[in-house]
Amino acid sequence: MRILLVDDETDFLELLAKRLGKRGFDVSTASGAQQALDLAAREDFDAVVLDVKMPGMDGIEALRLLKDQRPEIPVLLLTGHASTEAAMTGVESGAVDYLLKPVPLNDLISRLTEIAARKG
Amino acid sequence: MGLFDRFCSLFTDTLQEERASREEAVRLAFKNRCRQFKALLSANKRALESMANLEEALNGGRFFSMSFVRANCTNVITNVFNMIRQLNALCDNAYPELPQRLRSIQQQIAEALAPPREEEPGPLVLPLRQAGFSVAHETGAKMAGLGEAWQQLGRDIPEGFVVTASGYRRFIEANDLREEIARRMQLTDLSRLEEVFALSASLQELIVRADMPEDLVRAMDAECDRLEHAFGAVRLAVRSSAIGEDAAGVSHAGQYRSELNVARTGLVRAYKEVVASKYSVTAMTYRFNRGIPDHEVPMCVGCMLMVDALAGGVAYSSGPLSREARQVVINAVPGLPRAVVDGSAPVDVFRVSRQVPLHIESRSVARKTERLACAFEEGIVTLPLAPEEQNRPALTDAQVLEVAGLALGFEVFYGEPQDVEWAYSPEGRLVVLQTRPLSRAGETEVGREAPEGAEVLFQGGVTVSAGVGAGPVFPVRHHADMLRFPRGAVLVVEQAHARWAPVLARASALVSESGGTAGHLASVAREYGIPALFEISGAGRLAAGTVVTVDATSRRIFKERVEELLGRVARPRQPFSETPVYRVLEQAARHIVPLHLLDPESPEFAPGCCRTLHDITRFSHEKAVEAMFRTDDALFSGRFGKQLRYRGSKLQYFVVNIENGFCSPVEGGYVELDQICSAPMHALWQGMTAIPWSGPVSTSARGFLAVVAESASNPDLEVTSAPTRMVRNYFLVDRDFCNLQASFGYHFCTIEAQAGETEQENYVSFHFKGGAANLARRKLRVLALADILAENGFLVDVREDALSARAEALLASEALELLHILGYLIVHTRQLDAGLQGEDSRVALADALRKGVAEIMRLCGPA
Repeated sequence: MRILLVDDETDFLELLAKRLGKRGFDVSTASGAQQALDLAAREDFDAVVLDVKMPGMDGIEALRLLKDQRPEIPVLLLTGHASTEAAMTGVESGAVDYLLKPVPLNDLISRLTEIAARKG
Repeated sequence: MGLFDRFCSLFTDTLQEERASREEAVRLAFKNRCRQFKALLSANKRALESMANLEEALNGGRFFSMSFVRANCTNVITNVFNMIRQLNALCDNAYPELPQRLRSIQQQIAEALAPPREEEPGPLVLPLRQAGFSVAHETGAKMAGLGEAWQQLGRDIPEGFVVTASGYRRFIEANDLREEIARRMQLTDLSRLEEVFALSASLQELIVRADMPEDLVRAMDAECDRLEHAFGAVRLAVRSSAIGEDAAGVSHAGQYRSELNVARTGLVRAYKEVVASKYSVTAMTYRFNRGIPDHEVPMCVGCMLMVDALAGGVAYSSGPLSREARQVVINAVPGLPRAVVDGSAPVDVFRVSRQVPLHIESRSVARKTERLACAFEEGIVTLPLAPEEQNRPALTDAQVLEVAGLALGFEVFYGEPQDVEWAYSPEGRLVVLQTRPLSRAGETEVGREAPEGAEVLFQGGVTVSAGVGAGPVFPVRHHADMLRFPRGAVLVVEQAHARWAPVLARASALVSESGGTAGHLASVAREYGIPALFEISGAGRLAAGTVVTVDATSRRIFKERVEELLGRVARPRQPFSETPVYRVLEQAARHIVPLHLLDPESPEFAPGCCRTLHDITRFSHEKAVEAMFRTDDALFSGRFGKQLRYRGSKLQYFVVNIENGFCSPVEGGYVELDQICSAPMHALWQGMTAIPWSGPVSTSARGFLAVVAESASNPDLEVTSAPTRMVRNYFLVDRDFCNLQASFGYHFCTIEAQAGETEQENYVSFHFKGGAANLARRKLRVLALADILAENGFLVDVREDALSARAEALLASEALELLHILGYLIVHTRQLDAGLQGEDSRVALADALRKGVAEIMRLCGPA
């Protein structure tokens, strides 16, 4: 299963990529929205995991562009930003879910599996 | 083959192909529906889980943070949104008004979580002498109190100014810190001390590194100019004055930093340091335990001319220990009063009668070897005391009486005992540095008989906070010890430093070798209601892990737990349900938890009547089930729902295969039980059929007749038995999944289970409602059922005659076993209707069911 992780916190990004990699996911990473959009334009992913708050283009904007560009790829927002308003905006803009950090790895994996199964 | 035949065969081929591709399209569409339905069920499950978390927090006496409240509210909203999305996908957008309902409920929740601030931004700084209660929302209580002391009581206070709450917000907003702080806090489990330490360091660094906005710097500069103009080169004491600090019952003692003797050039740095101390470990732990949300504590900062004190200290207008209640108690040292507050140095103690004329009742003069003083350039230094000064009282008798008068004056003014920090200036003027309400130590009973057989390890010391606590001894000497401090242990320290305060919330008692009853650690112990004994020399010799009972009331430490003492009623602490965080939860939960939509047949069962998120989940679930199993769907009916055949007879059960629920493709309108390979469905079926149902048992003829009579006359029965509607029961199956919607007699029930390889994903849930017989009987029946389910590991919730039960994180074999039990119960609960006649029969019927459950477990064996 091919996953694209997008987060400006590179420590978090690398750690999560490594842990998901160990559990059999094929993981690509991007540390910014633009890089993520470029990657998604070139390659196929079963799901994108996107941070909501990023410098430059923020996650919600990236989400909208991503849904325009590749509407079939499910996007899961993963964030430390516990705001009901942001969550609403996120799911209204087409995210399949809005998960709060820190999310237990097993929870994330089961959500990813479920989402990918739904897509397939 | 003739041309015509060839043509015909070509045509039929095309027809067949067309039919096949149509068939394929329908198959895909159906598969999609199943996915949408399952996604809805899983969003429903997650929404209900978060709701259950919130409900549990509302009911239980446990601590939780704003992060907990926000996270669960956010989860419910996201999942409810997903339920609506799937429901509308299943039903061709039949409920377009639901997203709007959710939006407006979400806005109400958002308002409850962070009430919008209406106030206009105020001045960034205020002269200290203009501070007072009328502007306490800008200056914080501490600086307001000082301003009042000047304006109302004519007391000497240092000249200076306050950087206000508006100034604080300006600073935070100019750096966009609000969201970043909230984000980092959200990532931290505030009940875990090591996480709090890491968070504290990161937030303090964030603040100290932030830029001061220009306008704020200019405002502070203007105030400094004013002071310099009047007093020459200024040195300042920079002190916290947080909003909410020193509010009734909340002292925030010693959590925040004060910077002493700061030069003008260092003011910005000192300001940031004090603001950063809002995120000290002590302060964050304290707010967490007290249920105070971060956003409710703007940090105002007082910048006052430094008093290079000849002597200073703390005065209690009424001693904190009950035997001292009729005395003013003064702790004093030569030099700056900080030594008293830190609890680290020997102090003189003077006791003054509260009766006019005031007179000194006792004095205990300590040998003091050092004093704190202002350094020449900046900061403070420790200076040695000359031998002839070491045993001299810090105050003259006249000064003692003057300080006592000051403290009593504040008590009269505020109407409650006060804790006053004061100093004598080099010119000999008595200056007030702060005043706040006093927290009390509780009653002591020195000389009370020790319980028989209890071995006394220590006796004596000073009661700082009365009460009795027991646990294993855990000495704390270093920072690292704090991280390992186990909940419920007895905290043993050599010195009563304020920095040990974060572990107090987890301690059962506090023992200090040294003194410092006027120090911050003592204040915090009193405020938490933790029993505390100070001045127990040799306490450090207690081996770690030794279980002791600390009786601060009678000033003894006993070996082992002394149950007789522990049985006494503990001093009441402020219940968590009175904290601001709890009130926020309460407000938010009003829009989430209550359920108003109960009866799907009622006209109120409509999107417009959904007042809470729970209502929306209930509505969406019901409508999704209807859409999934309705029989009037021309596209799917008959084609995919197969009627169940069992031992040759057709049953009123229809089976819908999601994907891998049938062992092989099944043609036609019927499916045999052994063609189904869903483990949970088989388990359920086994439970339903292993013991044949013998028909309604009438334990009382009247009861049975009553059921028949009500069945005939009660229109509500249409809901569940519905002779006018076809009685059909539906199984939705997959290899590891099963959902049953069924009517048995007059009960309506839903069972859903996942029993696969992943333990965390497995669950069994059960909803049960309705039935003939009056409401009182239905309730009794549901309660009997609830007893049985709870005994078998379900979490059970009963409202009126509706029951929900859930078990999760199960091994597949455990889930299947529970399905055996549920299968038995849904079939055999019918017997309960006729016989129920009050509380006794509830017990009798629960007993009967319990026997049946034992029998079914024996028959079905381990799954």
